[in-house]
Amino acid sequence: MTGPAPAASYAAPPTAPAPVSPRLSAAPVPPVSHAPPRRRGRLSLTGDRGTPTVLQTLLVGLIIGSLVWGVVAALTVGQHSSAAKEVASTSEPLSLAAQRMYLSLSDADVKAATSFLAHPPGGTPMPLADRQAYDADIANAAAELATLRSASTGVDSAKFDKDLAAISAGLPIYTGYVQRAQTYSSLGFLLTGGSFIENASEEMHLVLLPAASDIYSQENAALTSASAQATGLPLIVVCLLVAIAVGYVLLRSQRWLTRRTHRRINPGLLLATAALAISTIWMVIAFASARSNFGEGLGHGSTPAESLAQASIAAQSGRRFEVLNLISRSGASSFQAAITDAQKRIGPGSGSLLDAAASASPSGAGADAAAARDAKSWESASVKVFSLNPATSTYADLTGLVIGTGSGSSQAAFEKLETDLRSGIAADQVVFRANAASGSTAFDGLEVAAIIAMLAMIGGSAWGLSRRLAEYR
Amino acid sequence: MVLNYRTVLAIVATSTMTLVAGCGSVAEPDGAAGAGTLTGKTSANRPGDAIPSTPAPGKVTLKEDGSTLLLPLFSEWATEYNKQFSNVTISTDSGGSGQGISDASDGAVDIGASDAFLSVGNLVQNPNMLNIPLAVAGQQINYNVPGLRPAGAHINLNGKVLAAIYEGKIRNWNAAKIADLNKGVSLPNLPIVPLHRGEPTGAGDTFLFSSFLSTEDPNWYAKYGFGAIIDWPSVPGAKAETGNDGMVAGCAATRGCIAYVGISDFKKAADAGLGDAALRNAFGNFVTPSPATMLAAVNSFISATPDNETISMINGPAPTAYPIVNYEYAIVSKTQRNAVKARDIKAFLNWAINTKDAKSFLGGVQFIPLPAPIAQLADDQIARIK
Repeated sequence: MTGPAPAASYAAPPTAPAPVSPRLSAAPVPPVSHAPPRRRGRLSLTGDRGTPTVLQTLLVGLIIGSLVWGVVAALTVGQHSSAAKEVASTSEPLSLAAQRMYLSLSDADVKAATSFLAHPPGGTPMPLADRQAYDADIANAAAELATLRSASTGVDSAKFDKDLAAISAGLPIYTGYVQRAQTYSSLGFLLTGGSFIENASEEMHLVLLPAASDIYSQENAALTSASAQATGLPLIVVCLLVAIAVGYVLLRSQRWLTRRTHRRINPGLLLATAALAISTIWMVIAFASARSNFGEGLGHGSTPAESLAQASIAAQSGRRFEVLNLISRSGASSFQAAITDAQKRIGPGSGSLLDAAASASPSGAGADAAAARDAKSWESASVKVFSLNPATSTYADLTGLVIGTGSGSSQAAFEKLETDLRSGIAADQVVFRANAASGSTAFDGLEVAAIIAMLAMIGGSAWGLSRRLAEYR
Repeated sequence: MVLNYRTVLAIVATSTMTLVAGCGSVAEPDGAAGAGTLTGKTSANRPGDAIPSTPAPGKVTLKEDGSTLLLPLFSEWATEYNKQFSNVTISTDSGGSGQGISDASDGAVDIGASDAFLSVGNLVQNPNMLNIPLAVAGQQINYNVPGLRPAGAHINLNGKVLAAIYEGKIRNWNAAKIADLNKGVSLPNLPIVPLHRGEPTGAGDTFLFSSFLSTEDPNWYAKYGFGAIIDWPSVPGAKAETGNDGMVAGCAATRGCIAYVGISDFKKAADAGLGDAALRNAFGNFVTPSPATMLAAVNSFISATPDNETISMINGPAPTAYPIVNYEYAIVSKTQRNAVKARDIKAFLNWAINTKDAKSFLGGVQFIPLPAPIAQLADDQIARIK
């Protein structure tokens, strides 16, 4: 360059000689560089090469960089968006279905056994209210089973299929035994009916509940995995690194062009830089928003709901043991340790499920406090059951405590605790769903925006650099 | 198959209506025709699971503990089996059914003998256990009532009267409620002394007796229930005894006593001069225990017996059925410590259930062999021992 550049016509060459046909001209005179000497470690856009070569290299590099960024951005947004929607629409509902199936099965067994014990020979083996509650549990379990079987679940394992098959086969066997128990009892064969209740409970404890527990564990693991994928860092970090690299090249290119051409702005590259910046900022905001929503939903919704669900499962387990202890009366079995262990895990107390739920769940605080209070009452009633003095108490005292409906009975306390736990779970699930819904919409439109940004970057780079290249032809 | 809840409800509703009484048997509520068919499980006794008919070579001792009702039979079997297979010694003990279940569950013995099936509580704690019927037994109600006229008459009793006696509400043999059941029989003015079993780990005979009382008397069921251990009502003079032999000896020594005794002590009780009561069955007939009346009872439950053979057969629905009948069970773990032990146990149980030699000892203790469909289910269970 021999003098200051004219004020800026895109058509104007950067150097003084008038354009000549490349065919007739000698090799273009390299512009005199006023750039400072190249320093080691810094990006050099010229090196020993000619400007057109540099411009061509930049053009190809920016197009490739834009393509890479576009693909990585679209992939990142697509994966996070898909995982977020998977959490909200599939994983969480299926985890919930598995949880409900387990609790419905467990509750059905407690109801069937309790009802059988509570009603003497000659009476209705299962009064209408108990029958309706039992039927509702079985219907719920069957409906959740159908949901789990038909859903395109995130769980794909032979064990999962085997567990589903075990419940599908075992549920009619279970209901068949309960039906037999009722039939024989109503015909006056009370003890034969009782043996069928034991057969039913055996099927429940040894086949159905273990399979349902496995299914719940697997669905819960799938939910955790999908949530981690929706908010995980690796892909977005890669995307940001690519954006930084492409942005750096764009900025250095503009700086070089500014020094080379004394034009302060290259509109094409500016457009590409703006497209990159806008889409990257949008992506960061969307990701941060989704991460925040899912973090809130998981931390204050799903996590406490899971703790309460585990507490409910433990409570059901303890309650079943209370009833089994009453049914067995063989002198060889004591369930006290198992019940005490279940109640310790439920809490309240340091490290207990109720404490974990309460500390993570501001929305369910009321239900959690009630659950803590009623868990204590249930524990007290259970202690009374096992501290009954055989010398001064009768079977009627025992049944009154275990399956009676009086205020001090274990059944009354357990039912209150179950109500509290279900309320708490429902409140926490509302929190999770609201946040998951927000989180899953955070990426809406961003995938298309990333592609448009990529095209704008390619177009801008091509436009901006090709004009400069044209000056050498 | 995806299970639609409406299907479940339809099955349940249909089953409820399918109650057919006929020929003294209880029809399957779900219409199932054969033993165990409701479960939909296939027979475990496939050709590949052939039950060995002989024990493994090498000296072995099989330990048995449990029911005092089964003890006399097991003692006979142990001697005979050792004659046929000199390398096998069977040691027997009589800790009671509760102890037998407990010992078998803990692995302290190879075979627990029990008058009661495993409760679901036992199974939840020890899901590997099987209860395999060996024979059909029953329970007699013995009494020591001198001065009965005509001499040797069987006193008629029913579940409600027995419950009232054990609650202390009927205290004398000539009480009106007993006399009402025994027209033409002269009952003495003699206080009743109820005896019951006192083993702390429980007794299968207590389970059977309290099951009969609970079936017959809602009041007893509500207050005391049924089980191997009962919180017996406090009755003046009532005594606790150990084992069936203890019940017979205690009753023989106590004028006016009444006792529930396993049928295997039938001869001992008769030799001790004790009478045996005729119990009112589900058809209102008074029946004494005998092979014929016990077979009538067990036949009425064959079609209802599930695969695991856990079934109570109290008050069987047949005109001539004796009302307190049960299977005598071997309590065995499905998983043995090695294949040799598994083979020895399977061979012995197969021998006990299916061979003429073993069955020849049943009459001596008043037991009867398993009906063929029940023996088949027992074989299926034996085949599961590994």
